[in-house]
Amino acid sequence: MRINRQFGAAAATCAVAALTLTACGNGGGGGGGESAGEASEDNKPAELSVAAWMDFPQELLDEFEEEHGIEIVVNSFADGASAQTVLRNGLSADGAGLSDVHLVELDWWTEMMAVPEDWVELPEVPDRWVDWKVSQGSVDGMITGYGTDIGPLGIAFNQDMTTQAGLATDPESFGELIGGEDATWQSFLDAGREYVAVNDNYFIDSLTNAFQAAINLLPAAFEDPESGRPYDLAENTEVKDLFLMFAQAAEDDISAGIAIGHNDWGAGFQNRQWATVVTPAWMTGIIADNADGIEGWRIASTFPEGGGNWGGSFFAVPATGENTEWAVRLADHLTSADAAVAWFNTTGQFPSQLEAMSSPEIAEAENEFYGGQTVGQIYGDLAAAAGDSAAGGFRGENFAGIQTLVTDGIRLVESGSATPEQAWESVVADFDALGFETAN
Amino acid sequence: MASETAAARPARRVGWGQRLSRWDIKVSPYLYISPFFILFAIFGAFPLLFNVVVAMHEWHRRAGMGEFVGLDNFVWVLRQPLFWRSLENTFSIFLWGGVPQLVLSLLIAAVLDQNLRARTFWRMSVLIPFVVMPVATAMIFGQVFGQFGLLVPNLQDLGLLTHTDSPFFQDRLLSHIAIGSMVTFRWTGYNALILLAAMQAVPRELYEAATVDGASRVRQFFSVTIPSIRATLIFVVLTMTIGGLQVFDEARMYDGGGTGGGRGGADNQWTTVVLYLYDLGFGDWQDRLGQAAAVGWIFAFVIGIFSVINFLITRSISSSSTAPVRVSRARRKATIARLRDAAAEPGAMPDDAHDDAHDDAHDGVPGSDGAADLDLTKGAKR
Repeated sequence: MRINRQFGAAAATCAVAALTLTACGNGGGGGGGESAGEASEDNKPAELSVAAWMDFPQELLDEFEEEHGIEIVVNSFADGASAQTVLRNGLSADGAGLSDVHLVELDWWTEMMAVPEDWVELPEVPDRWVDWKVSQGSVDGMITGYGTDIGPLGIAFNQDMTTQAGLATDPESFGELIGGEDATWQSFLDAGREYVAVNDNYFIDSLTNAFQAAINLLPAAFEDPESGRPYDLAENTEVKDLFLMFAQAAEDDISAGIAIGHNDWGAGFQNRQWATVVTPAWMTGIIADNADGIEGWRIASTFPEGGGNWGGSFFAVPATGENTEWAVRLADHLTSADAAVAWFNTTGQFPSQLEAMSSPEIAEAENEFYGGQTVGQIYGDLAAAAGDSAAGGFRGENFAGIQTLVTDGIRLVESGSATPEQAWESVVADFDALGFETAN
Repeated sequence: MASETAAARPARRVGWGQRLSRWDIKVSPYLYISPFFILFAIFGAFPLLFNVVVAMHEWHRRAGMGEFVGLDNFVWVLRQPLFWRSLENTFSIFLWGGVPQLVLSLLIAAVLDQNLRARTFWRMSVLIPFVVMPVATAMIFGQVFGQFGLLVPNLQDLGLLTHTDSPFFQDRLLSHIAIGSMVTFRWTGYNALILLAAMQAVPRELYEAATVDGASRVRQFFSVTIPSIRATLIFVVLTMTIGGLQVFDEARMYDGGGTGGGRGGADNQWTTVVLYLYDLGFGDWQDRLGQAAAVGWIFAFVIGIFSVINFLITRSISSSSTAPVRVSRARRKATIARLRDAAAEPGAMPDDAHDDAHDDAHDGVPGSDGAADLDLTKGAKR
């Protein structure tokens, strides 16, 4: 009995201590939530933090530090996915652990903007960006992200390999091979069939990127723009037709089935496994790294269906931050035309800013790896050719997920474990198992 | 004087200092051990119990708690074909990782248990794989099993593979074997050291006796070592079961699969339950924390059952082989006595009792002479 009482007392002590500790933990999470006012000397912080996953041009940070006397701390992540996880957790935890300014990738933009109140409304900056970049960076007509780069789509190909195959010797003839001015996905895939008919290696690294690009051009691929609910995938003929077209090509073995990010991707370049890669502007540098020492890579200025866009990011300011006024000013500074040019020179990211796009520093820069091609010029043309359609169609909350599900179906055919029809059935079954309330 | 003063006082008053010291004795021990319990309450018990609440509700990352749905989340999970597939994958990977792991760690421990030169060096070196980050292990092994890695081109040269791609990323069974090999690589040394510690505690006389009886090294291993380390073996199998079923890092990083790690292959060939749980609750799009919590509970239940089954199997295996040990134990006494006599004889102190004991042992009548032996040693010690 005595022992029990003592034990009870001890347990109570523990419980009280635990509660106190928890309460302390909660105490720190308050604050924030007020709307951004004017940045002034009064509310100037000693330092501002910015979270991103690429290199910053040092002169850009120095400029801001000198002008305002605020130190900028860069919280650098290894890749976009890590930055995404931290941001996601921070938003769920009332801003705990967030930086003053965050870089947000287009692919997870919708997810982060699901609660617009989490973000500070940014003042309009007229004529800085291409129109569709501004509308992408807005939620309910309110600008929440300042555009950085965009990902106009091009095709990198190895002209040594296509010459060997007797099909194309330079970017122009390669453009003709995949269908010229009126290139479609069908003509592109047929060119692939032609290539593998006379070669041991593959036409393309993986069809998943190309398929994603094709999906992106649909006005409302998976979800109803009115209700935001997913369409019943089994009834979605538009997606099904596209799927079967690409899956057919996958069955004909035109692709190696190894997409960017896969362990074998870099080695595939070194072993000359494929002759083409669907390449958004930001990927040109990545290919140059992975294909280091392999001659003959060029960028074609022709793209099926006129062109498209893959990725691109925004700087956004979480509303929970303590220095939102100055964070807005930093976001503005980081997305100026000068900043965009500096970034292009540092990491090769292609700008969404009108002034930067036409800047000779970008258009006339010759790229050694791509045989001295003016890569900036080519992507500028590709972006112009794609026009507003490059912004892509409607993306609801489940867009990225359903897209992964469907592209996994293409990978299934690429690995030879299913026929196109079987793969489609499996994709539909996976979708049905999730039990969405569908739009129709 | 002293007794008079004591009698004058009706009740003994307890001084503050004395009271403090009594509290010190009563309460302090609890305070000293309290950090563990406080930490456990916050980071162990609370999340565990809170998980029940999450599993019973509609729950999203940003929106938090939604409607109460009772057991709907559990029903939803049990209806997902992917859940069952991931369960199959997990058990398959567990077997491919666990069985070789157990066999290898037993072998390594047995070798380390011998009289080796540079013993500490070997013991430390088997632990090195365990120190390597699991993510790093997964990435390195991912390269090994890749199309241009160490393995696949060689298999192609041998004519065992014809397709140019790496089947280790496509074939379900092969991917399980590959991931199992990472688990084996990482945990074998760790388990070997635990088993080694147990083996060291096995009395050397048992081996001496067995050697005298003419048992081979292999026979000794199965008839002496294994039954003697039974308790540790059960412990190793249990922790291995729990750890092995929780495979996550290896499966997630196996093929690289995009910048954030893979989801277990295009056909979910190697999606494990924990990977599935992660994807449901914290992955890129599903945002179903309630269902993820339900997966956690279902899986905890499955692991519990499986651990019990494993425990029973392990126990029956090692207890069935304890019978021969008893026999050898009886023989041991005789042998020890014989050995001691042999050692004592050159000492040239032949007395009758000694000879009697010797003869008794030879006659196979233990009992009284065992006690006599004991007395003798005691006497010697005194």
